[in-house]
Amino acid sequence: MTARLRVDWPSCKARGLCHELLPEIVDLDEWGYPVVGGEVTPDLLADARAAVRMCPRLALRLERPPPL
Amino acid sequence: MTAPPVRASDRPRVLEGPALLSGLADGPGLVAHRRRYGDLPRVALDDLLAALDRLHVRGRGGAAFPFATKLRTAAEGRRRPTVVVNLSEGEPASAKDTALALARPHLVLDGAVAVARALGAREVHLVLPCERPRAVAAVEAALAERHDRLRTVLHTADARFVAGQARAVLELMAGRANLPVTAWTPEAVAGHRGRPTLLSNAETWAQVGRLVLVGEQRYAALGTVEEPGTTLLTISGTTPRVHEVPYGTPWREVLPEEWAGRPVLLGGFHGTWVPWEDLAARTVSVAAMRAAGTPLGAGVVVCPDEPPPAYTARVVDYLAAQSARRCGPCLNGLPALAAAVHGVADGSGDAERRAAELAGLVSGRGACAHPDGTARLVRSLLALRAEVAS
Repeated sequence: MTARLRVDWPSCKARGLCHELLPEIVDLDEWGYPVVGGEVTPDLLADARAAVRMCPRLALRLERPPPL
Repeated sequence: MTAPPVRASDRPRVLEGPALLSGLADGPGLVAHRRRYGDLPRVALDDLLAALDRLHVRGRGGAAFPFATKLRTAAEGRRRPTVVVNLSEGEPASAKDTALALARPHLVLDGAVAVARALGAREVHLVLPCERPRAVAAVEAALAERHDRLRTVLHTADARFVAGQARAVLELMAGRANLPVTAWTPEAVAGHRGRPTLLSNAETWAQVGRLVLVGEQRYAALGTVEEPGTTLLTISGTTPRVHEVPYGTPWREVLPEEWAGRPVLLGGFHGTWVPWEDLAARTVSVAAMRAAGTPLGAGVVVCPDEPPPAYTARVVDYLAAQSARRCGPCLNGLPALAAAVHGVADGSGDAERRAAELAGLVSGRGACAHPDGTARLVRSLLALRAEVAS
């Protein structure tokens, strides 16, 4: 079961910790904001949870794919 | 603040149409409205849902989302739903919702009231456009004529392109800044005060209102089998013209003759450029135009005197200035995108590649679809240039 990392864009202030913790799927754009490049596969789940927990702006959420 | 390339108007020319806009000479009053349509019947939710499904009634705010799906979601919630009529019309080139406020306010209100009753909602919220005072006055006059025994709450949206976006409207209703925020759940699941909230624009409510008043058969008498009914279009200009056409009408019959041969911007400032020949060969249809990559959107068509690159540069300048300035990719990306589009208009070497790169970079990265819509516009400009060059 894969999950999706979602950014609360108005809260994000380009602190970049998500990229540090999860470089496999989080890149940074030229202004330092995250570019989420793929789904969170099971092997990345622990790191993704850490990124959500440690975001200094609490601007990340891990979501299951929508049921629709 | 950068001025919009087209100013929001509250004096559109409203043309006589086959359904919503029929009988304009009778005026917008309630007495004439009831003489034409009779009293508003009570409808059972299940009957209404079935009719909406059969008629494929879609939202008219631009996204063309099936209205029945939204209504069903709102009805399935555990709490009492809230109904919202969005008349804010943040797209300055559009004037159709304003036209309905001026000419057919009771169709809009009948739609909202009939659905509110079917849902057991007690409140109808109306979101009015601060930039279009004549529309505000028309809605207030219409409300003063009615006694629906529902609580009506009026709100005034800011004069900002993104102010009419669903989450921005919910923020306004909650007493906060009228700006988009991240939607973690659809508003039909949890919206105003956590209640299921059925938010649609004025044309959607007017179409539902007419369906309730005239019945399924008469609604389906116009349009095509796949897309029954009519839709409103705004032909932009110094005085915008609002037309009502049945789905399936050839664009050739709608477009002004003097536009022949010139690229047309379809769907407003979040829309797409279409060569006149391509558009003239198609019909007014949600499905066919979506398949062609040129969605009908909210039905606005603009045909500027300026060449598309220079005009697009002005539009992107305006859209960048309209950002709520809360989401980083929009705050930083749209001004950079505007600069790149100016480069495209001036013919500087690498500007097209940069514009395409930035359009890709901002898409899908905001609380609302403002960056996505702006990127769509820029991509269509690049595609138009490629087509002209080949």
